[in-house]
Amino acid sequence: MSNKEQTFTTFRNTGYSAFCNGSHVAAVDVKDGKILRIRPFRYDWKYSKEHINPWRIEARGKVLEAPTKTSCGPMGITWKKSIYSPNRILYPIKRVDWDPKGERNPQNRGISGYERISWDEALDLITYEIRRIIDTYGPYAIYAQGDGHGETKMVHGPHGCMFKLLDLLGGFTMQIRNADSWEGWFWGTKHFWGGEPFGLMPNCSNLYTDVARHSELLLYEGCDPTTTTRGFCSGDQISRFCLFYRDIGIETIYICPDLNYGAAVFADKWIPILPNTDPALHLAIAYQWLQAGTYDKEYLETHSVGFDKFADYVLGKEDGEPKTPEWASAKCGVPTRTIKALAKHWAEKVTSVVHGFGGPYIRGPYSSEVARIEGCVLGMQGLGKPGVHSMCFNNRAVFGSEDHPVAPPTPCSIMHEPYQLNVRAAYTGYNPFPWQGLPKQCIPETLIHDAILKGHFEIYGSSLQVTPASEQFIKYTYPAPGCSPIHMMWSDTPCLTTCWNDSNSTIQAFRHPSIEFILVQHPRMENDCLYADIVLPVNTKYEEEDIGDDRESAAFDLIYLEDKCIEPLGESFSDYEIVCKIAERLGLLEEYTDGESVQDKIKKGFDHSGVKEVCGFTWEEFREKGYFVVPCDPEWEKYRPGLNKFYEDPVKNPLETPSGLLEYESVDLKKYFPDDEERPPVPHWVESSEFHDERIGGERAKNYPMLVISNHPRHRTHANMDDNDWFHEIVTCKVRGDDGYLYEPVWLHPSDAEPKGIKDGDIVEVYNERGIVLGGAKVWERIMPGVIYMDHGSRADSIVPGKIDRGGAINLISPHNTTSKNCAGMVCSGFLADVRKCDIEGLRKQYPEAFNKPYNKDSGLVFERVIVKK
Amino acid sequence: MGKILLVDITRCNGCYSCQLSCKDEHVTNDWSPYAKPQPNTGHFWWKTTETVIGTVPKVRVHYMHEMCQHCDNAPCIAAAKHGEVYRRDDGIVIIDPEKAYGQRHIMEACPYGAIYWNDDLNIPQKCTGCAHLLDNEGWTEPRCVQSCPTDALIYGEEADLKDRLGEFEQLHPEYGTGPRVYYKGLHNKFFVAGEIFDSVKDECLEGASVTLIDAQGKEVSTLKTDVFGDFWFERQEPGMYSLRIEMEGYPTRTLEAVDATKIDINVGSIDLAG
Repeated sequence: MSNKEQTFTTFRNTGYSAFCNGSHVAAVDVKDGKILRIRPFRYDWKYSKEHINPWRIEARGKVLEAPTKTSCGPMGITWKKSIYSPNRILYPIKRVDWDPKGERNPQNRGISGYERISWDEALDLITYEIRRIIDTYGPYAIYAQGDGHGETKMVHGPHGCMFKLLDLLGGFTMQIRNADSWEGWFWGTKHFWGGEPFGLMPNCSNLYTDVARHSELLLYEGCDPTTTTRGFCSGDQISRFCLFYRDIGIETIYICPDLNYGAAVFADKWIPILPNTDPALHLAIAYQWLQAGTYDKEYLETHSVGFDKFADYVLGKEDGEPKTPEWASAKCGVPTRTIKALAKHWAEKVTSVVHGFGGPYIRGPYSSEVARIEGCVLGMQGLGKPGVHSMCFNNRAVFGSEDHPVAPPTPCSIMHEPYQLNVRAAYTGYNPFPWQGLPKQCIPETLIHDAILKGHFEIYGSSLQVTPASEQFIKYTYPAPGCSPIHMMWSDTPCLTTCWNDSNSTIQAFRHPSIEFILVQHPRMENDCLYADIVLPVNTKYEEEDIGDDRESAAFDLIYLEDKCIEPLGESFSDYEIVCKIAERLGLLEEYTDGESVQDKIKKGFDHSGVKEVCGFTWEEFREKGYFVVPCDPEWEKYRPGLNKFYEDPVKNPLETPSGLLEYESVDLKKYFPDDEERPPVPHWVESSEFHDERIGGERAKNYPMLVISNHPRHRTHANMDDNDWFHEIVTCKVRGDDGYLYEPVWLHPSDAEPKGIKDGDIVEVYNERGIVLGGAKVWERIMPGVIYMDHGSRADSIVPGKIDRGGAINLISPHNTTSKNCAGMVCSGFLADVRKCDIEGLRKQYPEAFNKPYNKDSGLVFERVIVKK
Repeated sequence: MGKILLVDITRCNGCYSCQLSCKDEHVTNDWSPYAKPQPNTGHFWWKTTETVIGTVPKVRVHYMHEMCQHCDNAPCIAAAKHGEVYRRDDGIVIIDPEKAYGQRHIMEACPYGAIYWNDDLNIPQKCTGCAHLLDNEGWTEPRCVQSCPTDALIYGEEADLKDRLGEFEQLHPEYGTGPRVYYKGLHNKFFVAGEIFDSVKDECLEGASVTLIDAQGKEVSTLKTDVFGDFWFERQEPGMYSLRIEMEGYPTRTLEAVDATKIDINVGSIDLAG
């Protein structure tokens, strides 16, 4: 109902929480075809408090009640900026020197510019190419990308909304969406404590409550809880939990290289540690406990296997190198006396390690060992005991999955199979949950450059984020037997350049002659779009009618209708509508849509949600009210927290590991990879290997002596919302260079900046042998010496594609190789680089064309910059 | 009586939702006669700023929020000779966007710098308390307060909130304008922090007694270092201090010229064995 004479309020999931998991639900006030405001709304707006039954966590004499309003966060509140971004793509465009019937000029991708074409022309070219490629090479020559970044929609995609059409055409090569935010847990702790399918500590039920009641000390390690997930599954609700823990007097220590946004306001103490060196600290703590006997020996006897081997390694009996505080301090930069004090304090207090879910802590080189060694030390203090956990501030659950149901109390546990509180039946994109097996040929997102540039790879484990541990021992090759290498790429979530590993290599891959056609559909002209041959204009969710669910708010679970707010801008369509157009040309529209209209799918989403059967709530009421709050389970407290049952009786409540116990020596790793030095059966500190030389003590450190930490960005979600000029007014969002350009902040400690002649606000180059990324220096005390801080996701803006980037996309120079040889995970933090002052005028003279593009002084990159032919 | 706003900085997580929701409400939306549209950028009818305090590893960020204080004795009302600015019964001060055309002196009258000049419209503009929402849309609080995720902002009747004002203070009460905004945790008091250790034993010294002494020689406070040898004297009056550190088995140490006149200070690591 987008009637121009109407005033109405509807709802939007404003988060970027991947696939079909909504979050950040906002109310949208619309008047006369214009969006007035986007705001949080009260859950009890149309329902009584008795109905919604807010949970109450009572702990230490205080109470935390479920918030009364949604938290759509700054991203939700300012969503208008993304709708009306000067970088919106409003019509189909084609690269000017790409001619499918003549020269394709792949070497010019990222250079040659675009011209406007009609939808008819675009669809003609696309269907011609799809048919030609399938006829020439077979269907597996088409590679389709549908990863988790981008808007969350149900009927309207994106995230692999072309997968179904390509299946109808005979199959395709699927880009595997890796465990990109939690690599170390996926590849590591699955072999320590199980925890399928994600590898985080099993069963996060009621951890928020248990920590509130029992923990005395919280160690916030590596990832910022208030920032990491705020853009895709939390808004600012996590800050409420942090505040509550402060209010009830739980001691809070942040251990991370940066004074991140959580540490800045919530830390009782900050222990700076060099990026990706946490295992060294943890091993030294284990050493101290072994020396002092301050660990739970009885627990280890009944709850673990192989502890003696771990102890031998820690004490140096295995390798002649005791993991003393002195040993660790040289690697991690924490003073030995602080390590000793921390070990003592930890042993004396009921302690949980907490994380802001994924981020730099868990996606550096050898992150499997980061996760496993943390597990090892937690096990030494009786993991699963009240108040002793590894807790991720991931709001309610891991992406709303059923397998790890709840972090805070269980709002939707009244929903039982076959009813799940979600409207996924309406979803048209790719849904990785649960694991349903793999297509014949796949390419992990982390290996796309190798697949194209080297033409082959061989790995163990597909790296798909929801596969079981046993799948990590299956060998995959590319090309798969009987499949063609890829010759066409099709993406509806184009952000490899800003969010995955060594993307300067990926840029070279995009320009490889074997890739004959790159098709991208996206709302804004950014990142991987710049290497496409045809770019199709996608609208934002405010221009569409849809349905959604939110199971990640940590408050209540919701389903809601998203009425159309405004007419689509320009010639844009939704991802789903675009695939429908292509399907129609290919004679497959009926099959692709199942003969259902958008409204049919919305209704189907509701019908399969279970709220009618379980709560007696009808479609008519849903239409009238626009949203439904699933009341909190009155018996939520009965769900045992974390590994509490395992702690009490490990025989009756075994873990998912082969032994059923904590595996200080992994049974499976010993069986399958006994000689793997990067992920050995007993977890180790790995200094360097064939795959990585990213330590300050290594060879490469002679040229690149600083370590990069790259967080989830505070003021965008991955690569989304980087054009928000209201965010750009926030001091930590961008640094305006002397040349007026908005540079991505590079945090440097004064002691590093001064010798290099770098002043606050200077334009700098962060560089290693993989390339140069420009940024704006923030010289201050929020970062420890020796570390370069640069968040991921800043829009790439090549000066020389694949070599020099002005936009600040730090992943361009992140390591090429994966976590380790047998772990195809992503590495995008904790790597070596150096920084120097940038001679911007020199670059301007050398590359005038890169500097003379249209630019909006407030929002940054604009669409017109790529148009060379009107 | 009337409405007042409480800003509890100690509960602010620095999300900027207040500043941003003000822009969402007022940019491109014309709420005449309360306000004409705010320019896309450059105006901060609600302004959040941040200050990094201390040095590694004793660092914090202090957020600050500034906006129209809706003063009881508003200098802007006094400067507006013909009713261009007026106070409503609920205390909200409004600049009439029609009447105030071209009158820069209204902007210049505000000692808080809360009034901005709109170059395109040639008018002074500022926070309206979202009076258009309160009057016409049934709202009970302005956008900034509604968008705060941590309940750091509280808006209501002065009579209802009076009991909670104990820990709150006004910003620049010396201006004498009678502001209707109250703050908790203003950055007008500073921490003095440091670490005590023994370089020979290579250990943090827990339980050392640290005494903070002001410029007049008065002992302000004494505390014991924690397990990390840390001490934090929180929210001290600005000034020069000295520190006396005592621990059994070590000679007493005094640290002079601890300068907390302008900002918080981490005195660093003090080696009692050195």
